Amino acid sequence: MTAASEAGAGARPEKPPRSFAALAGLAAFAVITWFALSEDFGIGLDIGELIENATRGVDIWAEFMRPNWGFVPQTVDPMIETFQMAVIAAVVGCAVALPVSFLASRVTSPNLAAYLADRGVLSVVRAIPDILYALIFVAAVGIGPLAGMLALLFFNIGVVAKLLSETIDGVDTGPIEATRAAGGTGLQTSRWAVLPQVMPNYVAYSLYTFELNIRASTVIGIVGAGGIGQLLNTQRAFFRYDNLAVIIIELFVFVFVIELFSIWLRRRLV
Amino acid sequence: MTAGTMATRPAAPSHAKRNLALLGTALVVVWAFISVDIEWDELLTLPGSIGNLFYRMFLRDGLDWSYLPQAGAAMLDSIWIAWVGTIIGAILSLPIGFFGAKNVSSGLVSNVVRQVLNGIRAFPELVLVIVVFIPIAGLGPVAGALAVGLHSVGTLGKLTAEVVEGIDPGPVEAVRAAGGRPLQVQRWGVLPQVLPEIVAFWLYRFEINIRAAAVLGVVGAGGIGTVVQETIVYRRYDKAGVAIIVVIVATILVDLVSGWVRRRIIEGAGAKRVSGEDLVEQPETAEVKP
Repeated sequence: MTAASEAGAGARPEKPPRSFAALAGLAAFAVITWFALSEDFGIGLDIGELIENATRGVDIWAEFMRPNWGFVPQTVDPMIETFQMAVIAAVVGCAVALPVSFLASRVTSPNLAAYLADRGVLSVVRAIPDILYALIFVAAVGIGPLAGMLALLFFNIGVVAKLLSETIDGVDTGPIEATRAAGGTGLQTSRWAVLPQVMPNYVAYSLYTFELNIRASTVIGIVGAGGIGQLLNTQRAFFRYDNLAVIIIELFVFVFVIELFSIWLRRRLV
Repeated sequence: MTAGTMATRPAAPSHAKRNLALLGTALVVVWAFISVDIEWDELLTLPGSIGNLFYRMFLRDGLDWSYLPQAGAAMLDSIWIAWVGTIIGAILSLPIGFFGAKNVSSGLVSNVVRQVLNGIRAFPELVLVIVVFIPIAGLGPVAGALAVGLHSVGTLGKLTAEVVEGIDPGPVEAVRAAGGRPLQVQRWGVLPQVLPEIVAFWLYRFEINIRAAAVLGVVGAGGIGTVVQETIVYRRYDKAGVAIIVVIVATILVDLVSGWVRRRIIEGAGAKRVSGEDLVEQPETAEVKP
């Protein structure tokens, strides 16, 4: 500001120097990208080769273009199973996530130890991807929907607890003070001052995880955790791309319908 | 209403619709619990079987730490997949996001672009890998990176369009008044306003892509997923445990670094005031517009 006025009219103010942090960031970006792309260290992405091979998929895609509609009856039961797993995991997961998120917010956590312990557990729960849960639970309880339901359950607890605890962090503190002033205990404060404020968000997050579950349960089945994903995997193993096409189209429609329904329900409940 | 003497209470608003929706939801939930093909008494043995798995993973022979270099290398592959995928997603989504913003492109174009982005988002990475990219690139990390990239375009394009729609029109008018051509208007009037937030989205997407890249291996698209799956299938739980720990540690580390960079980009270098309070509580400042 002052530099311009000192230099007088007409003269251009000097450009601020580029910050060291920005330059270092750019350099780090370039180096990491070079490593990531290289044949020896990274994934060896060769765009020329890719363009050359772009037509290699044509035969397979041609099969995808001819969906085998006769396969539809066989997909009904796995699809229902996917739906059931998604519902159960969402209900139980959201129920478990409620107390977990109250412990994970400084606003409602009873003490620092509980807060930090809960946060620590949550960050581990959230660091494990859904399929990894599926692999672990398939190893523990065997192939089938129970493993899938458990995998979705942990996935949901992570998602809802993170979203809800952040919402709790941002609540209006007025009602909390009022409840405390009226002699409310920590639990009563959470129940009467915080819960009513976050309830609409909680319902919205619950429906959101249900939608996520429908998508996720398609992929966790690939490792044997039940539902439509398991069927998808067997068809993939037999290279039945015509059957795969049917499954993928059904999934697309299914996810779309669930989303519409979820929007409708959210409007009714919130 | 007309009968409104001072003492009468107004009638409670009708909750019929809401109650009906609640009842319907409850019925679906009960149906799911009853009809699903799960033997619920298996739950009684569940703690035992999970305990048994953990015993075999961590305690029986201890973790096989000699497996660490191999697991680490595979995780590094996953990180490269996520990195390249995020770059592909970022490069493609930037122009697409501008076309998806109503104030920059026309209403028709932005609608079409938004619908295409919705379509892309509907397919999980694993399905994209199987259907589109393994046929082109064959098994391996390249297919994984391309799938991660395409899926990222779906979310990044939408977010970019939303940020562009929220800009201050002042600088745009100024560039136009100074005689800027349409492309120059975007470059000097719009981009500087939206870039910090968009770069923060890219980093956030990178954190998500790490999780996706960690599992793509189960369909043969490279990275640590292959390792975890194989060690579990062959019941080498001592090795699987190491691989899982590698995934958890690497994911948390990437989250921490990326989250720190994001906060710096959004808030500037001045945000690095560390006080005792900051260490305990980290409010959701990343969502606040600069």
